[in-house]
Amino acid sequence: MNHLSSETFRENARAALADEQLRGALKNATSLFGERRKAAAASLPDWEELRNQARAIKDEVLGHLDKYLDEFVRAAESRGAKIHWARDAAEANAIICGLAKELKARVIVKSKSMTTEETHLNTALEGAGMQVVETDLGEYIIQLADEPPSHIIAPAIHKTRGQVSELFTAELGAPPTDDVAQLTGTARVTLRDRFAAADIGISGVNFAIAETGTIVIVENEGNIRLTTSLPRMHIAVMGIEKVLPRFADLDVFLKLLPRSATGQRLSTYQSFITGAKRHASDEGPEELHILLLDNGRSRMLAHPVTRQSLACLRCGACLNVCPVYQQVGGHAYGSVYPGPIGAVITPQLMGIEKTAQLPYASSLCGACREVCPVKIDIPRLLLHLRGEISERKGSASERLAFKLWARVMMSPTLYKLSSVAGRVLQRVVPVSKAWTSGRDLRPIESRSFHELWSDE
Amino acid sequence: MKVSLFVTCLVDQLWTSVGVSSVEVLRRVGCEVEFDRRQTCCAQPAYNTGYLKEARQVAQRFISIFEESKADAIVSPSGSCTAMVHHYPKLFAGDAEWLPRARAVAAKTHELSSFLIRVLKVEDVGASWKGRLTWHDACHGLRDLNIKSEPRTLIRNVRGAEFVELEHADACCGFGGTFSVKYPEISVAILDQKIDAIERAGVDAVVSGDASCLMQIGGRLSRKGSKVRTMHLAELLSRR
Amino acid sequence: MSNEARQEILSSIRTHLAASAPFDAHEYPVAHAEVQPAQPLVSNVVELFRQNLEAVDGHCIIAHSKGEIAGALTQIISALQKTKLGAQRIAISDAPELERLMHMTDLEIEELGIAPNASDIFNFDVGITTAQAAIAETGTLALDSTRERHRLVSLVPPVHIAIVDAATIYATLGETLSMLQNGKELSPAITFITGPSRTADIELTLTIGVHGPQEIYVIINQPS
Repeated sequence: MNHLSSETFRENARAALADEQLRGALKNATSLFGERRKAAAASLPDWEELRNQARAIKDEVLGHLDKYLDEFVRAAESRGAKIHWARDAAEANAIICGLAKELKARVIVKSKSMTTEETHLNTALEGAGMQVVETDLGEYIIQLADEPPSHIIAPAIHKTRGQVSELFTAELGAPPTDDVAQLTGTARVTLRDRFAAADIGISGVNFAIAETGTIVIVENEGNIRLTTSLPRMHIAVMGIEKVLPRFADLDVFLKLLPRSATGQRLSTYQSFITGAKRHASDEGPEELHILLLDNGRSRMLAHPVTRQSLACLRCGACLNVCPVYQQVGGHAYGSVYPGPIGAVITPQLMGIEKTAQLPYASSLCGACREVCPVKIDIPRLLLHLRGEISERKGSASERLAFKLWARVMMSPTLYKLSSVAGRVLQRVVPVSKAWTSGRDLRPIESRSFHELWSDE
Repeated sequence: MKVSLFVTCLVDQLWTSVGVSSVEVLRRVGCEVEFDRRQTCCAQPAYNTGYLKEARQVAQRFISIFEESKADAIVSPSGSCTAMVHHYPKLFAGDAEWLPRARAVAAKTHELSSFLIRVLKVEDVGASWKGRLTWHDACHGLRDLNIKSEPRTLIRNVRGAEFVELEHADACCGFGGTFSVKYPEISVAILDQKIDAIERAGVDAVVSGDASCLMQIGGRLSRKGSKVRTMHLAELLSRR
Repeated sequence: MSNEARQEILSSIRTHLAASAPFDAHEYPVAHAEVQPAQPLVSNVVELFRQNLEAVDGHCIIAHSKGEIAGALTQIISALQKTKLGAQRIAISDAPELERLMHMTDLEIEELGIAPNASDIFNFDVGITTAQAAIAETGTLALDSTRERHRLVSLVPPVHIAIVDAATIYATLGETLSMLQNGKELSPAITFITGPSRTADIELTLTIGVHGPQEIYVIINQPS
C-alpha cells in the first residue's frame, strides 16, 4: 500500500480494515504506547500544571511568532549559523539541493524529520543525483520498502520482523533471520558505512530557542547525533512554529515530550546545538544551516481555533488513543501526518479540496484532547474544518437534508410528524443502509414520548 | 425541586422508555417534573457535521423555549445532548444578544446522573435489579462533562445488581453521530472492540448514559445474536 | 531570494495574527490522573542517579579515589576483553586526567587513541570521557563541548565509559538546564545521554545499541 492519497481515505481505510496483520500490529503499538504514556504522566505530580504551562508558552510564542522568529534568527546567526527561509516545499527543496550541489555532495544522511517528509525532500535530492539515506531504523526500513511512515514515532510499525528480514535480504543481501537484534545489527553496520561516507547530515528540529539561538533535537537511537556530528555540513529543517522563548522553557517541554511519545522520562539523547563550531579544531560540522519553512503554517495563525494546530509537538500521543487510528493505521490518511492531528493539519497544509474526508474521520470522542501535552482541542478543530467544508464543498443532498432537518426541528407542528421527518432524512441521506450493513436498526417507536406525555 | 425534562429527539422517537424512566426516577427523589412539548433537538447533528447556520437556528429555538421555564434545572438523560447545550456559548461567541442567553441556559442544564449526585446529593434512588452488569462511559459525558464516578455510585447502590468494570470502559463505541454512517466500516470495527470487552465481562446487561451509544452497541449485539441486553441508566434506576 | 522569502513569511505571520481574535483555551474539565509519588524519596542524589541509570540499562560504579577509578576502568575493560568485542582499541577524550588514569590501570591494549577524528573513530571498541554534569532524577549525563573533545568518543565506539564528579550531579532537569546556562554563553554542542542507544522500531521489540553505544558505564567520583 504505497503512497496512498487523502482523497481515497474511505477506500484506504477499508483496505486497512481487511489487513489482519496490520490491525494486530496497530493494536500492540497503540496499546503499549498508550499504557506507557499513562504511567509516565501519572509519575509526575504536576502533569496538568505542566500541560497548562506548555500551552501558555506556545500561545505566547504563536501570538508573537514574528518577534520570536526574529529573535531566534538573530541569536543563531550571531553564533555562526546560516539561516534560510522557505515559503513552501519547492523553495525549501531548492535551497537544500543548492547547498548540496555547491558542496559537491554525493551522500546525504538524514535523521527522522516529519518536515522533510512533508516537503518530499528525498525525491528532490535524488532527482539532483544524490544518494539520500534515512538513518532512523524505522525510517530506513520504510525507505528500503519505498513506503511512507505509518506512525509519527514508530514509522515502520506496520511491518513484521519477517517482512523486515525479507527486505534486508533483498536489498542488502543479509541472511534471513527472525532475530530483531540481528536485524538491528545489520542496519547498524550498513548505516555506519554511510555515516562515514556522508557529506551532509540533514535533521529536523524539536525546539528552537529564541533567547539563545539553540536548536534542540531529541532521539533514542543515536542516529541524530551521528547525522549532526560527522558530516561536513549539518542542515536542520524546521517549521516556523518550533520556537520557544527561553532555554529554561525546555524544563517543561523535555518533561512532556518523551513521556507523551514513548512513556520515557527522558529520551536517550538530547542534542543542544547553539550555532556553528567556534574554532576550526572543534569537533562537529564545518557549517550549520537552519532552514525555516512556512508551507502554509502562517495561514493557520489567522483564526484562534486553527492556530492551536501550530502548538503540536509531534509526539504521536493522539494517534495511540484515537479509536479510528487504532483501526486503520497511518497510511490510510494519505499524509505524513496521520491520526487526529493529521486530520486537522493535513487539510490546512494541503487545502481542503483533496483532503475533505479527513476531518470527518473521527467519532469526536475527545480522547486526543485528553492526552495532548499542549492541550490542543482537536475535536473543536475538526468541527471548525467540517464547517469550512460544508460551506465550500459539502454535497448538495447533505446540505438540503440539513436545511430540511432544521426546518423540522424549528417547528413543533412539523416535529410532531417526526416519524415522517425521520423517514425524510433517511431517504435523503442513505442512513439506514450504511447503518444496517453491520448493525440492527432500532425501530421508530409507535408512540413518541411527546404523545406518551400528552396521554398522561 | 422543579425540573424541566429535555428528553432528546432520539429518546422521543426511538427509546421512549428512557424518558418515562427518567420521569419516574426524578419524581421518586422528590422532583416536580415538567415537560415542554415544544422541545425538539439540541442541534448536535448539524453542529457535528459542520452545518453551523442550521445548528445556530435550532440552538436558538432550544434556548428560547427553555429560558421561559420556571424550573430550577433542565435535566436530560443524555451526556451528549447536555454537552451540546454546554457548547452553545461557542456557537454564539461574539454574539452580544445570544451569548449571555446561551450561557444562562447551559448553566442550568444537567445530565441525569450528575444532577442526582452533584445537585440533589442523592446516591441511592432505591432501585433494584437482579443480574450482572457493566457500564460504558459515553464519550461526551465523560470528557466534556467529567461524568465518571456519578453513574458508578448510582449503579453500585442498585439492590441485587452485581457491577463489574468493563475493560477500556472509557473507549469510544464508534458511534460518533454522522460518523457512524459516513464511515460505517470503521465505526463497526471500533464497535467490535467494545463488543469483545462486553462479551469478556460475562454480563447480563450493559448500561450507559446515552441512548445513541446504546443503539450502536445494541445494534451489534443483536446482529451477533448476543444475549447481553442494553439498558439506559434511567431504565435501570427506575426498576424497583 | 532568501531575503524576499523572509519578508514575505514575516509579513504573512503579522497579517494573519492581526486578523485573529484571542482564543478561549482550557475550557474542558481536567481528567484527574491517578497521581503516584514522583520518585522514591532518596535524598542522596548519587544514589538516585545510580537507581535511575540502572533503570535505563546503564551500569554505575561509585569510586572514592583515583585509585578506585583506575580499578573500575581495569575491571570494566578487562571484562570486555573477554567478550567478542575484544576491547583492544580504546579511545579517550582529551580530558587530561583520562590519560593519567589509563596509565594507572594495568590493562594491556593494542591502541590508545586520544580524541580520534571522524575518519579514525570507527575503529575503536571503547570510548572513555568525563561528563560535565549529571541529572539524578533521570540518570542522565550532560556533556559540554567547550570543556572536552568527547562528541565522537562518547558516540561511535560500542561501549561508552564516563567519569563524573559526584559534586556535579544535580537533582533535577531544571537545575541542570539552569546551571548550563547560568548567565553565560551556551556551548555550541551540549549532549544529554540517558543510558545506551535504543530502538523499538521493529515490532516494538526493545533493542539496545542501534546507532550509539550498546553499553554505558558511569563511574562516579565521590572522594571520601
